[in-house]
Amino acid sequence: MKSLYVSQQGCYLSLSQEQVLIKKGQTTLNQAQLPLIEQILIFGKSQVTTQLIHTCLKKEIPILYLSRMGYCYGRVLPIQRGYRYLSRYQQVLTPLDRLLVAQAIVTAKLKNSRVFLMRHHRSHPSTNLEMAIQQLDYLITKVSCTESTEQLLGTEGAGAAIYFSAFGDCIQNPDFIFIARSRRPPGNPINAMLSFGYQVLWNHLLSLIELNELDPYQACLHQGHERHAALTSDLLEEFRAAIVDSLVIYMINRKMIDSDQDFEFIEGGCYLNEVGRRKYLQAFLIRMEEIIGVDKQPRWDSLMRQVKKFREFVYSPSRKYQPYLIR
Amino acid sequence: MLLYIITYDIPCNKRRKKVSDLLEGYGTRVQYSVFECILNHTKYCELKKRLLKRVNMNEDHLRFYPLSKHTRQTIEVWGDVPVTSQTHSTII
Repeated sequence: MKSLYVSQQGCYLSLSQEQVLIKKGQTTLNQAQLPLIEQILIFGKSQVTTQLIHTCLKKEIPILYLSRMGYCYGRVLPIQRGYRYLSRYQQVLTPLDRLLVAQAIVTAKLKNSRVFLMRHHRSHPSTNLEMAIQQLDYLITKVSCTESTEQLLGTEGAGAAIYFSAFGDCIQNPDFIFIARSRRPPGNPINAMLSFGYQVLWNHLLSLIELNELDPYQACLHQGHERHAALTSDLLEEFRAAIVDSLVIYMINRKMIDSDQDFEFIEGGCYLNEVGRRKYLQAFLIRMEEIIGVDKQPRWDSLMRQVKKFREFVYSPSRKYQPYLIR
Repeated sequence: MLLYIITYDIPCNKRRKKVSDLLEGYGTRVQYSVFECILNHTKYCELKKRLLKRVNMNEDHLRFYPLSKHTRQTIEVWGDVPVTSQTHSTII
């Protein structure tokens, strides 16, 4: 997936034949080949000309407007993309079908969290990690006994609490401390990186869901309503530990990010600043373009594969949905 | 993904400009009328379809050479522009 990320402020994107020119003042910062781009993400205050918007609409390239910390304000999409033809199939999914998928997703999330902790336990053993791994093990067996989505969400919440209580033990860089997960606003640099990462990944997933003509508002685990694209949140669960958490830990332990220089505090929250955002996006891209697996595909492909699997499930619910597992 | 060498010979200035503008979007100009594009099958078909609208078959002349991965590794370049590599996402 080739994307154009504009994380600098005050840029000006315009169209010149088949190229997107990215300017700041009089200087051209870069240019990108429009036919090869799949989406444009604009973080913060940069301008896009109407001509470019029109061309993107014609070519079905979504433009996403996000805040500097990654919250999505909205997207520019052509009208025909809004007609989701699989939506009808999604609406007739039975509550049981949905619950089974939701269970599969939560199981995958817990398993992936567990694998993540186990990998760190192997290199840096600690009793805290060992305990969390055992507790997660127990919860994984519990998931199949849940009878309602509420119960399932309870199990998932318990899992997340256990996981994040041990998450701090994976950090080997004394400049960073992690005690608990906090969001809205994120309270410290690690939470800022986690939130930003989840948001960016969430938006990428949403685009893929739209691309596959699924209705993002019809979900299995999360409660969908007109403003929450819950299916995106559903599919994100499997990837949190595998992609975002491991990237955050990697960047911190390798000292690729600086706790003083790369963050800013606004109204009691901690956010990545311009330099930090850029560093993060760069590392994120390298990771997503890494070739992995037996079939030698970039990591991007695993997102696409999951969305396609969900699509297959919608067509024939009896075939079940297979979530993403790290191994 | 294959590397395509696309060359053209177009006498009319207007059409030549249009063709070269289009090719700029899909690849890199390595000589005045030689482009290198790394494309998948869909993008390659799309490019050809769009080119077809901008050329006049009676006067113009275009060539498309696909290069396999094996051949791509043995390309030699003498002089300036390096061999085109696959485009990645851009971060500003």
